[in-house]
Amino acid sequence: MERNPEGENLEYGALEEVFEVPIGPIHPALKEPIRFTFQVRGERIVDVQIRTGFAHRGIEFMGMRQGRNLIQILYLSERICGICSVSHPIAFTQAVERAAGIEVPPRAQYIRVIISELERIHSHLLWAGVAAHELGFDTLLHLTWRVREKVLDILEELTGNRINYAIPIFGGVRRDITPEQYPRVWEAIRYYRGLLEELLDAFLRDPTVEARTRGVGILEPKEAEELCAVGPTARASGLRKDVRQDRPYLAYSDFEVKAITPADYGLTPVGDVYDKIVVRLLEVGQSLDIIEKALENMPEGEITSFPKIPALLAHLKKAEGEGLGWHEAPRGEVIHYVRLVSGEESPLIWKVKAPTYSNLLSWYPMFEDQEVADIPIIAACIDPCICCMDRVYIVRNGKEETWTKEELLRLSWEKTRRMRR
Amino acid sequence: MRAEQVLAALSRALGEKLQSYELRPREVGVSKKWTVEEIWAEVPREDIPRAVAALKALGPLHISIITGHDAGEKIELLYHLAVGFGTEGGEVMVTLRTFLPKEDPTVPSICGILPGAETTEREKIEFLGVDFPGIPRRDHVFLPDDLPVHPWRRDEPELEKFIRRMVEWEKDDGAKS
Repeated sequence: MERNPEGENLEYGALEEVFEVPIGPIHPALKEPIRFTFQVRGERIVDVQIRTGFAHRGIEFMGMRQGRNLIQILYLSERICGICSVSHPIAFTQAVERAAGIEVPPRAQYIRVIISELERIHSHLLWAGVAAHELGFDTLLHLTWRVREKVLDILEELTGNRINYAIPIFGGVRRDITPEQYPRVWEAIRYYRGLLEELLDAFLRDPTVEARTRGVGILEPKEAEELCAVGPTARASGLRKDVRQDRPYLAYSDFEVKAITPADYGLTPVGDVYDKIVVRLLEVGQSLDIIEKALENMPEGEITSFPKIPALLAHLKKAEGEGLGWHEAPRGEVIHYVRLVSGEESPLIWKVKAPTYSNLLSWYPMFEDQEVADIPIIAACIDPCICCMDRVYIVRNGKEETWTKEELLRLSWEKTRRMRR
Repeated sequence: MRAEQVLAALSRALGEKLQSYELRPREVGVSKKWTVEEIWAEVPREDIPRAVAALKALGPLHISIITGHDAGEKIELLYHLAVGFGTEGGEVMVTLRTFLPKEDPTVPSICGILPGAETTEREKIEFLGVDFPGIPRRDHVFLPDDLPVHPWRRDEPELEKFIRRMVEWEKDDGAKS
């Protein structure tokens, strides 16, 4: 397929010179700090350099070297990403459970699955809204984000929080789903079932969306495979790659998850932005199927094999071993490696891999020979999660105060000065 | 893909260089039980590319991450790879473990075989001071270019001082001035 067929006919005349256009670290087109340095000829991108690390917080170091115990690290892992705030704890608890030989009761496995599929729905709707916004289609952004509120309400109902759910713990989960909560989850499922067709229609059968996304930001299947892309980024290129299917974990084998590609919607996968919308929207339906099955077949019984935290901590302190834990987060594969040493509260090694880490390299072929105006949507199409924070809310001695951007900036200047000493 | 197939391919490619290996299957599922296979093998550093090439010849290959650890005299690297995605429960997780001496912390890059390994190799350069001859780009991914330390080394005399300077403001009672 021709990339941007219309664009090929444009005459750039004397614009042979290559200009450098930096986008970021802070730029209205980006949601989080990252720097793209584009070389452009006329409106065409010739080359790009990508620099990350502006929001690096050293979380692995904090876990390995600063005397935290595993339960403290569990909550730290939840804060690696605000949107995937159950994905990291799910991978981390599995890694520790493998290292320490802890079993998870069936009911707890089901609850973990339900929460993570709810998270996928909210994350994919969030992304769809951002994508609409990057295309300049803000009506669609508002529609998508309005309907996303429902799943956040359900997550709040089940866990107490809209994000950072604090549900997984080593050996199980911290909260059960009570009988009176079931009807509310069912109601949310019915709500989204009725809405999905409307969303597919609004995104996929809209000529503006199609014109802005078809043939834009293509990742060829071969490139996706070689660059080890993960999640919807890989599946939009036609790769049947989904950790829930390929190497099941928790109770996922019960649900017989199949990786979704645009072929399931009757399309030939191209790997452009349009296909990435297709995959993410279809996955909302897939998550609804999984949650339905999980609610219907929910096993009875305990929700944790260690109801007492001191006993759990004592067991973890004695444990020795290493383990891997993985999870298909909304954006792709999350993997954690943990090595425990007997007598130590902190792990000797903790390695975290988030999906954007794997998808970073996919940006290079996607940007190749694209137009400057498509930079925002191509940057957004892998659903990057770079992590940022521009404000801190502090409650100290019963007094509330907000640290604004200016305050944080002042602190960061002071810190830079100290580091230079 | 089965673990036996993967092991056979590894031992064909490496012979006795496959120093030791272990199978660690995990049982998953509640109503539909499934066994997910994991192989943990130790390989000398110069044979890492050969092992990765052998895995790639078997089926679609994915690299999750390379874990790095300062183990005192040596640096330990763990290549977490997964071979054979695309079929239900058909992917085998393979972890290749290798040790590099501190005085010569190098290991050949596998980017030529698996370009997707670039980010994680570059991360090991900045965090552990390991070098990967043959890697296409060496720039830092996460840390400032002029950072004077490799934060995951445990023998960095400057590291403690450096971290202390970074967290100093948390100790001055946190009061706004």
